[in-house]
Amino acid sequence: MIGNIIKTSVVLVIGTTMINAGSFNTQAEKDRKALVSYFMKKFSNPAKNKTLFPYANSKDFENLMPVKKVEDFRLGSYAYNKEGRSQYDEINEMPPYEDNVDAGEELYNKTKGIKQCFPDPTIAGEYPKFDQKKGKVVTISVAIDNCLKANGQKPWKMTKGKIADLEAYFASKTKEAGKKVHITIPSKEAAEAYERGKKIYYSQRGYLKLSCATCHVQGAGNRVRREVLSPLLGHTTHFPVYRLKWQGLGTLERRIKGCEKNQGENPHKPGSQWMSEMLYFMAYMSNGLPVDGPDIRK
Amino acid sequence: MRKINRLVTVLGLGTALLVLANAEEVTPIVKEASKLDVKKVCDVKTNGLEKVLAVAKKYNPEAIKLGVEFKRLGIRNSVYIKGLEKAIKAKKPEVTLSYKKKGKVKKKTFKTDYATWRACTFAVRSLQQVKEAQKDYHLAIPGDGLK
Repeated sequence: MIGNIIKTSVVLVIGTTMINAGSFNTQAEKDRKALVSYFMKKFSNPAKNKTLFPYANSKDFENLMPVKKVEDFRLGSYAYNKEGRSQYDEINEMPPYEDNVDAGEELYNKTKGIKQCFPDPTIAGEYPKFDQKKGKVVTISVAIDNCLKANGQKPWKMTKGKIADLEAYFASKTKEAGKKVHITIPSKEAAEAYERGKKIYYSQRGYLKLSCATCHVQGAGNRVRREVLSPLLGHTTHFPVYRLKWQGLGTLERRIKGCEKNQGENPHKPGSQWMSEMLYFMAYMSNGLPVDGPDIRK
Repeated sequence: MRKINRLVTVLGLGTALLVLANAEEVTPIVKEASKLDVKKVCDVKTNGLEKVLAVAKKYNPEAIKLGVEFKRLGIRNSVYIKGLEKAIKAKKPEVTLSYKKKGKVKKKTFKTDYATWRACTFAVRSLQQVKEAQKDYHLAIPGDGLK
């Protein structure tokens, strides 16, 4: 009996390992589909799903528009926030980031090595990537800085300035080309990095004991003071963003640092394993959505 | 019937083995911190300032190592601890801490016993959250624990 149990258990373990080895994104795809289904259910008719908006009053429900297509989530909270959407559309008539895109194009053409490192500028939807040789996740900001270093130059600050301008150029070219977010999980190590990123995203931290998901999964669509919280789905599609609060353009890393500060924890360094792996998870969740950057946010 | 029972047992054991193989372990210091009663160990009146600060000094380095150090009002917990060491030694009733905000150096003053309590709870809770997250993070995932 015991011999049989051991034998069958070993067969089970080996079998499961072999199945997992076949496609490294099986779990990630399962997570993504469940997330899409959660958000579509939640926002297809918010008034019908009142239990998912526990703190909303009747005025809040009046402000929530139904989301018809999953692609609309590329707009973040403006996919369902009526008031926010009208302000967003108004500002977008004269986008404040156009000069940044031009500056980014100049940096792309004039900075030593950049054109060689990134011959195709329509790459915004492909990052973060798992670098098989280095065995780690590389965000677009990290890839740019690696390129600068390889060409004997000083790396740029990963939150704003030149790096945000160049990323705005990449995002704008990717959007023009009509490309979608396409994050891959090519190996077991990449799948492990994805899982670590997922755990970071869903773990409660800081003196407020909040996880990212508290606000951007369960909390998405709920109101904090005057702001309607944005959804995880589509979060990475529109960066870099011109934030009215910043009065300038900033990268995804800059925004994450702000979120962490609000959670009550010491923000992690842009380019760190912690931040890159979390961004890897976040970007994977937006797979298949159109790249929509650069954009504006409050 | 016996065959079904055997199959169920085998499947159960197999799953348990898989779960055990995938379960991540926390560091011994996180385990130790998880067993503490924060209200008791960080009680300044009962334990005294030195003892409470010693608790903060013991656990905060692990929080930094794991990337879960707390920060409140722009001040990292390690800054609280550093400032408190001097203030308690000099028996000062208040502690003034410096921190940076948008590139400028700013200062904030706290009562020493209050800041000591905060440093201790921040250090211990940050590690307790690591242990809690091991089992709780699944509960927030759509398609997993979130129904």
